[in-house]
Formats: sequence, C-alpha cells, structure tokens
Amino acid sequence: MSAKTAAGTVKERAELALNDDFLRKAVKFTTERLRNGKKNASAEHGNWDEWRERGRQIRLHTIAHLDYYLNQFVNNARANGVHVHFADTGADAVKIALEIARRKQAKTVVKSKSMVSEELHLNDALQEIGVEAIETDLGEYIIQLAGETPSHIVIPAIHKNRYQIADLLSEVAGEKLEADTTVLAGFVRKKLRENFLEADIGMTGCNFAIAETGSMVLFENEGNARMVTTLPKTQITLMGMERIIPSFEDLEVMATLLPRSATGQKLTMYMSAITGPRRSEDADGPDEMHIIIVDNGRSLQLGDPEFQELLNCIRCGACLNACPVYRHIGGHAYGGTYSGPIGAVLTPALNKNVAEWDDIANASSLCGACYEACPVKIPLHEMLIYLRRRKVEKGYGNKLEGAGMKGFAAVMGNAKRYRMAVKMGQIGQKLVVRDGGIRTKLGPLKGWNSYRVAPSLPKMSFRQRFATLDQEIREGLREMSPDVKSRMEEAIKRRKQDGGGHGHG
Amino acid sequence: MAETHADWLREMEAKSRAKQSAFVGGISQRLGRPRPTDAPAQPFRGAPEFWRGFEWTPEERIERFAGNWRSVGGHVARLPDMDAVREFIAGKAAEMGARYIVRQNEPELAALGLEEALPEAQVSVWNTDPDICWKARSAEADFGVVMADYAAAYTGSVAVLSSKDKGRSVSLLPTVLMIVLPVERLRTRLGEVLTEFDRAGRKRLPAGIHFISGPSRSSDIENDLTIGVHGPGVVYALIVG
Repeated sequence: MSAKTAAGTVKERAELALNDDFLRKAVKFTTERLRNGKKNASAEHGNWDEWRERGRQIRLHTIAHLDYYLNQFVNNARANGVHVHFADTGADAVKIALEIARRKQAKTVVKSKSMVSEELHLNDALQEIGVEAIETDLGEYIIQLAGETPSHIVIPAIHKNRYQIADLLSEVAGEKLEADTTVLAGFVRKKLRENFLEADIGMTGCNFAIAETGSMVLFENEGNARMVTTLPKTQITLMGMERIIPSFEDLEVMATLLPRSATGQKLTMYMSAITGPRRSEDADGPDEMHIIIVDNGRSLQLGDPEFQELLNCIRCGACLNACPVYRHIGGHAYGGTYSGPIGAVLTPALNKNVAEWDDIANASSLCGACYEACPVKIPLHEMLIYLRRRKVEKGYGNKLEGAGMKGFAAVMGNAKRYRMAVKMGQIGQKLVVRDGGIRTKLGPLKGWNSYRVAPSLPKMSFRQRFATLDQEIREGLREMSPDVKSRMEEAIKRRKQDGGGHGHG
Repeated sequence: MAETHADWLREMEAKSRAKQSAFVGGISQRLGRPRPTDAPAQPFRGAPEFWRGFEWTPEERIERFAGNWRSVGGHVARLPDMDAVREFIAGKAAEMGARYIVRQNEPELAALGLEEALPEAQVSVWNTDPDICWKARSAEADFGVVMADYAAAYTGSVAVLSSKDKGRSVSLLPTVLMIVLPVERLRTRLGEVLTEFDRAGRKRLPAGIHFISGPSRSSDIENDLTIGVHGPGVVYALIVG
C-alpha cells in the first residue's frame, strides 16, 4: 500500500487536532450521535449479541474458505458478463483502472465512496492522465474540493463546518452561497446531476460481493452510488478481496448489522445488488462493467492466527465512534487511510511495516470499547497488544524503556538490592518532596508531573512494616471467634488439597 | 497492442483468467491447505433460527411499514384500490404542478390510465421509444411512478427490480417518487425478500435490485439532516388493498 505518510508522529498530529477546537467538538458530537444511534438501534432490534455472533460466524467461515468463495464469485460474475481483474498491489489496481479509462477515452469519472480507492490514491493517478475524478458523496465532494482526506469512515467531512463548506462551494459556483445546509446540498445536487449524466465512467466500492450469484452490493443514503451504477456507460468497481459473503440469505445478517452499527438506521435509504452490466434490452445501467479485486496487503492477514479476523471487518465505523482516543483526536491524527481502532491495526497490518506505523498502535487505551462495539466481534484491543509485542520483538522498542525494565528487574529480583533502593529513595526524595507530593518536572518525571503530582514514598514501606504487621495478624487470629477461625483453617486446608490454585475456573 | 476495444477486452480477459489461479492459489497457500473443490458446508447461513419464524399479521405489517417509512421522512397513503391510486397521483400532480411524469412499462400502471387522468401533463412510458434517451427523460421528470416488486415491513423497505420495462432511473432521477405497493407484496422480514433471490439463482436475477427505504438523505454537513441530496426527496408509498 502506498499510504501517504502524514508528517510527524501520531502524538504530533493529535496535538494539531487537539488544538483545533471546532474539530474536537465536531468529532465528539458526531461520534456521540452515531454511537447513541447504534445503541438505540441495537437495543430496539434485540438479541444483539446473537446477531453479532451470527455475523462473526458468517465472516469467519467465508474468510476461512476465501479461496473457494472468491473463485466462485469470480466465475459467476464473469458469467454475468462482468470483466474481472486481479490486483496484487495498489499499483496494479491503479494500472488496470487507468488502462480502462484510457481505452474508454474517458474525460470524467464519477465516484461513489470507496475506501479501497482511498487506499490506492486513484484520484491523483487519474488526474495525471488528464481524467477528472469527481467524488459524488456529499461529504467526499466537500473534502475533495478542500484537497483533504476523509477523517471518518462514514462521515468523511466531519471536521468541516458549514461556513468553511459554503466558502468552498461558493468558489465552484462563482457566487456567494449562503451557509445554509439546504442551500449547500441543493447546489451540490444540481452541480453533480450534470456530472452524473455526462460522465464516461462510474466508479464504486463494494460493501459485499455475493459468491453464489456474482452480485455486488452497495449500501448508501444519498443515491449517488445508484447514479454511478445507473448512468455512465462504463462501471468500474473496486473490491477488497475479502468482501465476499456466500448468499443473499447471509446478506440479511450483514444488512441487519451494518446500518445499525454505522448510523443507527434500520437500513440505509438504498441497498443495491448489481448483477452484471445492463441486459441488452435494458435502457439504463452500464454497457460494460469491470470489477477489480484488490489484495494490497490483505492476504498477509490470512493464516496469521493473531490477525486473520481483521478480514472480517465490514467497515461500519462503530469502533471509531466508541473509541475514547478517536473521539479526542479525530481521524487525521492516525495518518493512514483507515482511522480509529480499526485503522490502528489495519494500517500496520496492510503495510507489513510495523516500524513506520508503530506509534498508532499506541494511540489506544486498550479499554476494549472497540471490541464491544464491533458488529462482527473483532478483538481489536488484543490485536493492538500483538502489534506492540511484534514491534518490541523486531527491535523497534524504546531503548530507554528496555534499559529501564532491565534495571527494574535487577532491583526487584534481589531483596537486598530492593531494600537498598527503597532506603535511598526515602533519603533522596527529601530534596523534592513538597506537601507530601513530588512536583518537579525534572527528567523522567516530566511526562507524569506535567498534569499530576507524583506521590512521595512513605516513611515506612510495606516491607519495612511487615514484621510488625505479621505480628499483629498472628495476635489477632488468636482472638478470633472460634467459628471464624475454624472456617479460615478449613479454607487453608482446602486450598492445600487443591494444589494451591486460585480456585476459579 | 489490441486493435479494437473488443480485442482489448479479450486480451484482458485472457490475462485475468491466467492470473486467477495464481491469485486464488496464493490464498489457499496462505490458508495452509489445497483449494477445496466442493462447496464448504456452511455451519451458519443467514439469520439466527429464532428470527426465521418471526412474522407480523398483514395489518401489523402495514402499520409497521408505514411507521418506518414516515420516521425517515417518507409519505404513506393507504388506498383501497387502483382507482384510488389514480386519483391520488392525479391530485398530487395537480397540487404540485407536475408537468412531466415518467412511469414503468407495467400492466398495472398502464391500467391506471394516468395519461387520461392528467391531460395537462406529459406522461412517458419507460423504454417504449428507442429514439428517446430515457435517462434524460427521467432526469427531467417531476414524478416517477413505479410498482414495488417486494417490500419488508421490519426495515420499511421496498424492492424494485430492473428489466427492459422497468428502468432503474425511474425510481432514482425524478424529483418525486410514487411507489405503488400492493399489500400482498409486503412481507415482515428483509430475509423473506432476499431469499427469493437465492431461490431464483444467478441466471434469473435482473441487473439491478434496489431496496429503497425512504427519501435520499445526507448528514454530511455538520450532522444536519438534508433530504433529497441526489435521489428523490419526496417519496410516497401508496399501499393498495
């Protein structure tokens, strides 16, 4: 994947985001709206965990037999008259798409939202050969005008306010447009209508591909994906190789999980299943239909027990909305095509370059909210730990942290050394303790003490007091009432019989 | 280098077929086993068992469908018969000043007699004249009139299937969409409709199957709901029977 490496580290990009008051508020508002929508929709539907489990099982099964189902899909799509292409890399996919555009002598391509297309940076490539690529999803259109990338998987222009949007659109209109949502959306409708009717090629992503019939399925609310698959003479669909489900019957489960998880809707306003180009007697639909099946790092996850489940993702964005870190820093801070918890795992996984993207695995509190939100139960928080471990194993760990851990082990592993260290600390801290706490921001204390106060070491540590405590407990036991005492003794006996285990599970 | 576009497509086809076994073979290799030749047994297919028996009474289906449709900004009218449908559409056309109407070429809609009921308006019938650009005709239409092929009450969705007589554009491009839904086509669950397509099988599927659940909408500008972004902003479900 040729992901654009955004400048700096996640921390630097996040600080940019944290300084942008509007962005922070907008992200918080939107994610909360979507999260609450999802909560209500899943509660209203009922048996949510059973549906999630069903979704997970269907995805697990399909991915475990991806070779069979993908092959079946391809053969059926071909039988429907689709031209199927395979792309190992993003560059291969771009090459195929450009070749089709050249062959068709295309001037304009209208696009509906596709995360794969974002992965490939296809718009830039089309522009280079003189083809205008127009994003037609309202949010995508806006950020394309602004020359930016999406900051949320479902609501890409979450970071723009309507005044900024009015300025952008006024430039296109050549007149001042009022910063009113209806006016702005109305302008885009009119403007893009012309584009839909004139464009040579319509380009889409693919939410699901049905193996048994060779159909591709799109979920959307605006109708632009329907425009793109109905009006231009040529349709190109970019499809991640893992988008497959076996049947329409299975689509009911995905259609139950995806819209509810993404926006809290029972179903998106449009759900379309396209099965091949237009039939010869039809008066609309594309004459020629291409599906480009893209690997671009996906197969690296196959056969990897820790990461194969990543391929189960249905791109709903629920993990973004649930993530406390995403809610604060927004999508751009992640620096890749995919943001939020899924991006933190997917970006390094697709790129197979842990070193370059390691820091986004740290942009998480490992609280597991992403897993709770995921409609197909991907254990993202665990994958983040695997990533961190791999990073250390590959020698990209923090050298200072490594040295510190070794020192810590040396001190903790020997009672004498530990005793010495605590004594030295108790004497040494007298220089820095004020009002029972340590406030200096010197050296390693800076990170902690910038926002908090480090507690001082107590005059007597637990170990130092232990002899006295031990004595007290023994005395105390003797005074215990006979029945309590016998119960405790009983418990100790049982524990010995059980071989010293903790007795749970 | 290929001469004509058809030659080039054939060339690409050959390349793609050659590549297919390597691409799919690569997946088998990563999965650590040979590619299965028989369909793998699906341990779980479709919705959970408890869901499959779930069904509302016809009256409850209508009520729920209407409730869902209205909740997303759509309009509903419950009409006794097709005569009432004609009157309803004619009334709305007069009220909104609709001049251009495009309808699917279906017997039920032909029997409506919209042409006679609306002498002022130009009523076009999809794909009845090869010289007309039907996409453009639909784009300029004020009203599009279609029959629903199926509907699911639980999600408040209508399914329309394409054919030579049923344009995808008719339910997409006009400003106002009128969907005529005979009650017997209204089911409870989405799955009841979807399994029809499994049953039909690949060869009998139309190019376009579109589920419509209300007016086109977007919340992309400051989370502010806008109706009618690309598709029709005013959508009527006319439940007949």
